[in-house]
Order: sequence, then C-alpha cells, then structure tokens
Amino acid sequence: MGVTAIQTKGLGKRYGSFWALENCDISVPVGSVSALVGPNGAGKSTLLKILVGLSRANAGHGEVLGKVPEQSKEFLSDIGYLAQEIPLYKSLDTESHIKMGKHMNKRFDEEFISKRLGDLKIPFKKPVAKLSGGQRAQVALALALAKKPKLLLLDEPVAALDPLARHDFLTSLAQAMSEGGLTVVMSSHLLSDLERISDHVIVLTSGKAQLCEDIEAVLREHKLLVGPSDKEPDDGFEVIHGTRAARQSTLLVRTGDKVKTSPDWQVHEPNIEEIILAYMGQGRDLNGGSK
Amino acid sequence: MNWLIWRQYRKTFMIFGILLLAIAAFIIPTSVHYWHAYQHALANAKFCRVANTCPPFDSQVFAGHASLVRHLVLAAGILVPLLLGLFLGSPLIAKEYADGTNNLAWTQSISRRKWLVTKLVWALGFALLYGIILTLLTTWWSRTSNVVYADKFSSNQFDIQGLMPVAASLLFTGVGFMFGAWFRKTLPALGVTIGVFIALQIAFPNYIQPYYMTPVTVTAGMSPNAINDKIPQDSLIISINVVAKNGKIVTNNLFPEAPLRCQKMIQLGGVPPNGTTKGPGPSTQIITCLNKAGFHQVAEYQPAYRYWDFQRIEFGIYLGLTALVTAVTYGLVLRRDA
Repeated sequence: MGVTAIQTKGLGKRYGSFWALENCDISVPVGSVSALVGPNGAGKSTLLKILVGLSRANAGHGEVLGKVPEQSKEFLSDIGYLAQEIPLYKSLDTESHIKMGKHMNKRFDEEFISKRLGDLKIPFKKPVAKLSGGQRAQVALALALAKKPKLLLLDEPVAALDPLARHDFLTSLAQAMSEGGLTVVMSSHLLSDLERISDHVIVLTSGKAQLCEDIEAVLREHKLLVGPSDKEPDDGFEVIHGTRAARQSTLLVRTGDKVKTSPDWQVHEPNIEEIILAYMGQGRDLNGGSK
Repeated sequence: MNWLIWRQYRKTFMIFGILLLAIAAFIIPTSVHYWHAYQHALANAKFCRVANTCPPFDSQVFAGHASLVRHLVLAAGILVPLLLGLFLGSPLIAKEYADGTNNLAWTQSISRRKWLVTKLVWALGFALLYGIILTLLTTWWSRTSNVVYADKFSSNQFDIQGLMPVAASLLFTGVGFMFGAWFRKTLPALGVTIGVFIALQIAFPNYIQPYYMTPVTVTAGMSPNAINDKIPQDSLIISINVVAKNGKIVTNNLFPEAPLRCQKMIQLGGVPPNGTTKGPGPSTQIITCLNKAGFHQVAEYQPAYRYWDFQRIEFGIYLGLTALVTAVTYGLVLRRDA
C-alpha cells in the first residue's frame, strides 16, 4: 500500500504453551499516532518488541516501514523505541547518554537533544539513577527522538510517572510530533493517557487485535442503544457488548453507516472510552468462553 | 560501541588494574628475596656439607613466613582468573539484561551481532592481556620454588606457570560471560562460574591432566628408596603401587598375600620369628622377605621433559573450551528474544 508504516498478518508469539500474541492483524498508517490499548498482559509489549526486532514471532508476518523487523543497523536506524522500564545506564550521566547516542547512531542529532534536555532543565552531570522518574523518561524519549526515526514505538512510557510528569512527557511528545514526518505507536492500559494526542486506536486483548482503526471512524460507526430487554434491535448491527437488565438492555453496537433503528430503541453517541471498554470486555468474554 | 564499553567498564578495568599492581608489588620483592636466599643457601652448602651441619635446604631458602607467601602467590595465579570471570565476564552481559539496557543498546542503529562481538573482543582481549602479565609475574616468582622443591609439574605449580594463567583467564572470562547470558542475572552466573571453577580444579589434576600422554612405568624392589631413585627429578608422579607376584595391587599394609613368615615379621614389627636378633635390622629383613616372595613396586609418572608438551596440550584444551563457551554465548544472545 505504501501508506502503511506497520502491517501485520496473523502475527503470533508463544511462550511455552501460552500464546501471548495470537493471530494479530494490525495496520498503522504513516503519520498517524496510534494508541495501543489493552489490559495488562494483553500482549502490547510483546507486539512492540516484535515490531522493533527484539523478539521473533512464532507465527505470521509483520512489516515495519516496508521491512521485516530484524536486529540490523539498516532496520534499526529508522526506528525509535522506548521500552517499558525506561532503561538507561544507571551510573552514566545524561551527557554520557548523549555521547552514547552519537556513537551508536549515524544520524544522531546532538544539537537537538542537548537543547531539548537543556530546556527541560535536566541536569547533565548527574548519574541518571539520581534523576526523577519524569526526568529519566524525558532523557529516554529525547534519545529516541534524536535518532530522527520515522517510526517511534513507546511501551507504556507514562505508566510509572506522576500526573505532572505524565503531562510534561505527553507535551514533549506532542511537540516532537508537530514537526511532522513521524509515525507513533504508544501503548498504555489507560486510554485517557493517549486520548489527547492519538488519532488511531488499536485495542488488544488476550493477544488479538479487537479493533484497529481511525478514532473518528470508530466514533462515527458505533452507537449505544438503550431499549427493552425482551426485544432485539434491528438486525445488521454487530453487538460489541451488551448489558441486559430486567427492564432494559444497553447495547454497544457497530452500526456501520446505517443509523436507522426501531423506535423502541434510544440511540446515544458513545465516547471513545466506552467503545474501547466494550471491545476489551469482548476480548475477555471470548477468552473466558474458549476455556 | 567501543566508546560505550570503555565508558561503562572503565571502573572495572581500573579495579583489576589496581589488583594487578598490588600483586606485582607483592611478587617482585618476594621473588628477589627468595632467589637471593637460594643463592646464599647454595654458597653456604659448600661449607656446611664438609662439616655435615647443613640444615634442610628448603627451610634455609623458604624461611619465616615463606609458606604464607607461597600460598598467596598460588592464590594470585589460580584465583585471579576466576575473579576475571566473576567480576568482568558475568556482569558484562547479565547486568545489561537485569537493567534492561540491552533493549536500549539493541534499538540504537547497531546490530545485535556487532554489539555482542565488540563486547566479547573487549572481554577476552582484556583477559588475554591480564593473563599474560599475571603469568609473567607468577612464573618468574616460581623460579626459586621450582629448583628447591622440584615441583613445577605438580598441579598447583603447573597452574600458575607458563601458559596456564593465560588459558584460565580466557576460559573463566568466557564461562562467566556465557552464564551471564544464560541466566540474565549476575548472581546465579557468579555461583555457577564458581561451580565450574571448582569442578575443573578437581577434574584436571585428578582425571585429565595425568593422561595427556602415556605415563612412563618403572619397577623396583620393596625399599622406599629403590622406587624413588628410579623416578627422575621434576616428574609428575601419578602412582606408586605395591604389586604382588600375581600382578595384583596390594592395598593392605599387613600383606595378607605374603607368606606367613613375612606376615609374622610384619606383625612383630620386624623381629624374626626365631627370636634371633643377629643379621640385618628388622625392616630390612621384612623387605628382603617380601622381595623374595615376589613383591615389588610399580610407579607411573610423566617425566619432566614433557612439561611443555603438557602445558601446550592443556592450553589447547582451555582454548577449545573458551571457543565453545563463546559459541554458546553467541547463540544465546543472538537467537533468544530480548
């Protein structure tokens, strides 16, 4: 297609007999900011690790920037990655990390990172172990950005940060993205972290992609129906999640482009968080049902 | 990559450098001292031999705290290669896994292969250089004990001289590195590396080293001197056994296989059964009795001229093992997921 940054087909990863990722199909357009959401253990980290070449898939196929992920210089120089634990060399200071980046990347923008971390008032001469979690995350993000990557993969970068540091981190990220030319995939188990900056969403539950679409399209095509519990709404709707009480049912449905329903049913516009929760619930039901 | 390794491990390199300086500061003056003591004892021997008042030669040379000094030199030659494995080899990769920094390094614009090869070259290169300086010191120190005790072929002395400290430095660094990659944690890697060290310390001198070449066999009569005189100096003695006429090895020192006559002598502590005390002394009589009954001694040894062959063979084995563990490391790091 040429406009996809990431394309996977039937991707699977097995640990022993447990499939952490199974039959996972996603497609990420160039220039998008994708929120990769799912409960803990859904396979988000596994997916990101496969995409950056740190892990190898046991099944299926993935292409990232038109290449099969591998640990080679050619592949890695276009990708920025920030692992979940935000790894840095604890005893080295920020300045040494910048030098490390310079020595290990041929396209490293030293001026950019020095200015950026200087503006953020990050101490250059302190071992990073002595920086705050927020500062460390900023250093790690700046290192990934200074590579001048075409694709940035971030694995729950804000999970361990306090609200202020979280805000600062996302601001930094938004600022970097505003310069253009960057595709971002960022995972979190909290959608609210990502809602502000993302335009594309991937919902992952028990190793499968339940949803992988533009947020606008998702909002347009999903409706919340409230109606009598003894009746079904018109057919042609895919019910994502339903809550059936004695008197009334609340159904989250995928209407596609149709919007007509029987008059028994009230139609509401769900917000993205409700839709995503519905998809996560679907994954959980599927998982429970298969056992 | 080289810059990063230097920046990450310069402290480790420095601590090992200081250790080497400390070893040199200990070995150089003591080596000079004992060599002088040896020269002095040699000169002294010319006079005291005439007067027959010579004290034992070894206690003249290695007087005072010499035993402690010898053990410290042994420790330096044998344990320092293990320390390289523990504090250079193991953390070199285990700590990266434990801190997750491998994920940082492996997503820079550098292949995992190059990262690993550079690390291995640094680690093994440092171990090689370190081993060479170490063996220059310990081998040079051993010149005095080699002539005084004539034991440079014995397992401990063999290990701290010639090629062996170099071989051990390379091997244990490689072993530490491999287990670091295996367990991905420093502590278990340290434990297993120590385990391998102990296993090799037991296996090589007892089961492997004596058999690099077919040992030389000599036979002699029953007197203690008879067999010792037939084994050349500096040899590696593998076994000395008493053998009965039928070729069986005698393990019971009461000689149940011997004729009654000899057995009685042995039980009586050498007094002949007829009660006479004439003739040669009791132990000589027992020896004569056993000799007549066909008992003899058989010794197996490796002669001193094979010393360098043995050094080369064991060096080769260690290098082979180093290559093996390095290949396993390579597979572990490149094939397994991050």
